[in-house]
Amino acid sequence: MWDNRCKVAVSGVGFSKVTRSADIPLAAHALEAVKGAVADSGLQMSDIDGLATYPELPATGHAEVDGISVVSVNCMMAMLKLPALTWHIQVGTTNIGGAVQQAVNALLAGVCKYAVVWRAMHNPRGTYQNLPGAYAHGAAQFTAPYGFGGPGQGMAVAYTRWLERNNQNREKMATLAVTQRRHTHHNPHAWFYKVPLSREDYLASRMVAYPFCLFDCDIPVQGAVAIVLTTADRARDLKPKPAYIAGYGQRLHFEVAGRIGSLSSYMEGGSSSAKLTWERSGFSPKDVDVAQIYDGFSASVIYGLESYGFCKEGEALDFIQDGRIELDGELPLNTFGGSLGTGRIHGLWHIIEGALQASGRAGSRQVKDANVSFVGASAPIVTGTTFIFVGEPY
Amino acid sequence: MSDWSKVTRPIPVPNEWTKPFWDAARRGVLELQRCQSCGHFQHPPYATCVRCIGTDLKFEAVRGGGAIYAYTIMYHTGDKRFASAVPYASIIVELEAAPGALLAGNLLEAPYTEAKVGRRVEVIFEKLNDDITLPQFRLVRAE
Repeated sequence: MWDNRCKVAVSGVGFSKVTRSADIPLAAHALEAVKGAVADSGLQMSDIDGLATYPELPATGHAEVDGISVVSVNCMMAMLKLPALTWHIQVGTTNIGGAVQQAVNALLAGVCKYAVVWRAMHNPRGTYQNLPGAYAHGAAQFTAPYGFGGPGQGMAVAYTRWLERNNQNREKMATLAVTQRRHTHHNPHAWFYKVPLSREDYLASRMVAYPFCLFDCDIPVQGAVAIVLTTADRARDLKPKPAYIAGYGQRLHFEVAGRIGSLSSYMEGGSSSAKLTWERSGFSPKDVDVAQIYDGFSASVIYGLESYGFCKEGEALDFIQDGRIELDGELPLNTFGGSLGTGRIHGLWHIIEGALQASGRAGSRQVKDANVSFVGASAPIVTGTTFIFVGEPY
Repeated sequence: MSDWSKVTRPIPVPNEWTKPFWDAARRGVLELQRCQSCGHFQHPPYATCVRCIGTDLKFEAVRGGGAIYAYTIMYHTGDKRFASAVPYASIIVELEAAPGALLAGNLLEAPYTEAKVGRRVEVIFEKLNDDITLPQFRLVRAE
């Protein structure tokens, strides 16, 4: 087990308003989320001395403009002018989970005391995923000429392989979409809060990139979420009950860029990250009380459940049936609604929900007696990270 | 069957690593990068052998028969250049002679509903302009 388990905790969470279009600059959303997280923790903004984010815009073919379509550390520093600031970072090889892990490391190293991590997501005008212009450079020269555009198609090809090799039926995924939408009814910050979705709606919805229909894809939105992290001893002096980080991991596998559709790379990415997390925390999948697994495209949940070890390969669509992922089920899953419910904000919201469930702060969607709370914070293939939060340190 | 006649495909721009692939395709030959130390074929081209980290890599002709490893049927018309072809099959092919190397393509000369994992395909060549010819795939006809 990891010597540093439960030595850092999440002590505050914050949310901006989630909107469909970019009516105000993204920096304003990020600021609202960061202020909310600091207020939730009971700290003053002047106490914050660490900043971390992952400022990528996943929409292809659009300009990255700081403050408008991304919110970098520099942008946040310029807005907040923190008097106590001692540390900051932006990550590249992992999505926002990597920024959280770097903040954990900085707190353990004693180079900051109260770190804020935010993820701000922009919804550009026009088509979200644009193929390159007239010419395809770099890795895209082998994919774009054939009509492969955004990451959805890349994930869709792996999903057909999974479905057909395992003799599975995509209609079973309706259970995930419908269950997560019901969970969303307990999350007032979510884009689809109180918007119903039936099994019939799912099965009748239009195809986007087979096997993905509309409700297999998270809706692009504009918004931000944020957390405050601090050391366990400091967390105990703050107002909210701490959610202790018992262990974390990151994917240790990388596919050569442009080699798309490899199902095995999702599995290797996910299992390498989860193995670190289980070893460091001392827990195993059967100990988990509640799980958040990244669901930007629904099939990520399949790859997550299987590669993290919650079920065997080929069984995930059967695993999610029969009430198992309900709030009172054997493995309550994506209890905040997931990205399919909140809109496309990436994995920091999964991390937030993992922390809230571990500390008993999830309100009407709180899983009874939850202690061991697992998070798979992005698609296992490229940017995967995993976490375990607990309410009771050990 | 998808109508590709009105589709304007993005044109690949070869670089130092990929130029031999496109030069060969223009001649109607499929050549992939091969490690001269361990014999492994790989695609897309990369700085080192993905199996043994060898750096002596050369392009060699490879037989163009393989199987559909995975596929998707595209319905979304976000990119208008491809709108006239939807629904169309974008496929990933694993060549028999180059296990592990995955090539993207479209399934041509067949309805998109014929795309299935494991189905046998063979390479054909689609000329885009004087410089660039795209490797593409069609089903292997029954004997």
